[in-house]
Amino acid sequence: MSVPTSAATAAATSVVVVGAGLAGLTAAADLAGRGVDVQVLEARDRVGGRTHGIEVAPGDWADAGAAYLGERHTGLLALMERSGLKTVPTVMEGDSRFDVSGAARADSIPGRFPPLSGVALGELFDLLDEVTRSVRVEAPWLTPDAERLDAMTAAEWADDRLRHPDSRLFFPLFLGEMMAAAPADVSVLHMAFYLRSGGGLRYLNAFAGGAQEWRIDGGAHRLSEALSAGLGDRVRLSEPVTAVEQDDTGVTVRSAGGATRADAVIVATPPVLADRIDFSPALPAPRSGERTGPGCAVKVHLIHPSPLWRRQGLSGWSVSAEGPLLSTVDDSPADGGAGILTGFVTGDEARRFAALPLAEQRAAAVAQAGRLFPDLPEPVGFHVTDWVNDPYSRGCYAALFGPGDWLALGPHLTRPHGRVHWAGTETSTEFFGLMEGAVRSGHRAAAELAARR
Amino acid sequence: MSPDDMVDIFRRVLETDGVTADTDFFESGGDSLMGTRVLSAVARARGVELSFDDLLVAPTPALLADRVASVSR
Repeated sequence: MSVPTSAATAAATSVVVVGAGLAGLTAAADLAGRGVDVQVLEARDRVGGRTHGIEVAPGDWADAGAAYLGERHTGLLALMERSGLKTVPTVMEGDSRFDVSGAARADSIPGRFPPLSGVALGELFDLLDEVTRSVRVEAPWLTPDAERLDAMTAAEWADDRLRHPDSRLFFPLFLGEMMAAAPADVSVLHMAFYLRSGGGLRYLNAFAGGAQEWRIDGGAHRLSEALSAGLGDRVRLSEPVTAVEQDDTGVTVRSAGGATRADAVIVATPPVLADRIDFSPALPAPRSGERTGPGCAVKVHLIHPSPLWRRQGLSGWSVSAEGPLLSTVDDSPADGGAGILTGFVTGDEARRFAALPLAEQRAAAVAQAGRLFPDLPEPVGFHVTDWVNDPYSRGCYAALFGPGDWLALGPHLTRPHGRVHWAGTETSTEFFGLMEGAVRSGHRAAAELAARR
Repeated sequence: MSPDDMVDIFRRVLETDGVTADTDFFESGGDSLMGTRVLSAVARARGVELSFDDLLVAPTPALLADRVASVSR
């Protein structure tokens, strides 16, 4: 490897951050706070990355991307407090709707439990918990039995381990909701790692007392906007980075607007996008592979004048075995106003749905919402956010590591390449795939640069 | 199945020793996902298939053990 060795000891008084999502902005804010000369180069014409706000009614914002957080997300909560942002609780009062039994009508049921065999689902969660606990979360490739778990897809695992039709039916829905993956997309090791990293099955799944306890008041994008406002003109939009060239005295980062020179770089993009940057000297190993896939999530918002389903005693929460809306949740603002029904289209269904023209997407989503919530009129607003094909995210919630990926890529995800350091939720073994993981990765990358001095 | 056996299951699933025969599952941090794991543990121990509704109406070890007894009878 021909990376200049002097880089390891040189003081980084100037840093370029590639990507103005939560990870990049967190790192940039930390560095700016230490007096480092920071430039953030963002490909899009907005900040926020996989958080994005849509104003669905005057003053009412829906989260088109990442939305939820819980009390364990301490890095996120601290940044929010510094930025003057508040949490709003997710509400889940009233009956749920389930369309999982093949009956002509959906079932109304109190709580979040579907009309499936409790014993069968318990056996599924027992098996998932067992494999989840076996993972060495800080270095999944060192997990006992890592080779076998890394070689097998979650679909193969389910085929082998799940006997009851109800657990076989529910497993893909659960995985879609938890990590926006179809079972064939991810290795067992990645599935188990993801669940463990997020705090375990119960925490990751729960609304109250779990990872979906709150939303950010006014929308998750406001945090990135607040961080960006603090950085001012050091954040440069519409600057997709194409090349990163290191030499004995520094780094040249080439983007749409020209070349930026700095002592060091933090690349805070998903690994698949980072691998498309032309590094010179080249990376010693890639950070994504042929089986690394995009998180498969399309988010749909149906906007109503108010949360009409609540009048019928329904919470807005639903789970369906057939798409496109595999689950729905009431994301209406806390202070009254618009009724926002968020639909999650995940896994294979997301790929199919994303390929449809908007009119067909709308027809399918509205028809399904009407079946789930009787007498629900046509929405007054309709929004589709396709993350699967988004050129500057390549998936959401996060990269999906397929068979072979963790063993091949794992050690390289965070290892600096000379003056190049890495951030992004995929580089955090704590809360991987979540906003919290992005924030923690940003703090870590900034701390690495401080340690170089 | 004795209430004590059921207390053990609740303790394991809720991951706390603070469970007695009268501890309410849902008021002790239990949710639907964890509740299914009580049901699978009962099925393993006794071959009895309770439903999630059984846990909702009998949310303590004592009540749920009664339920198992009446189903097994």
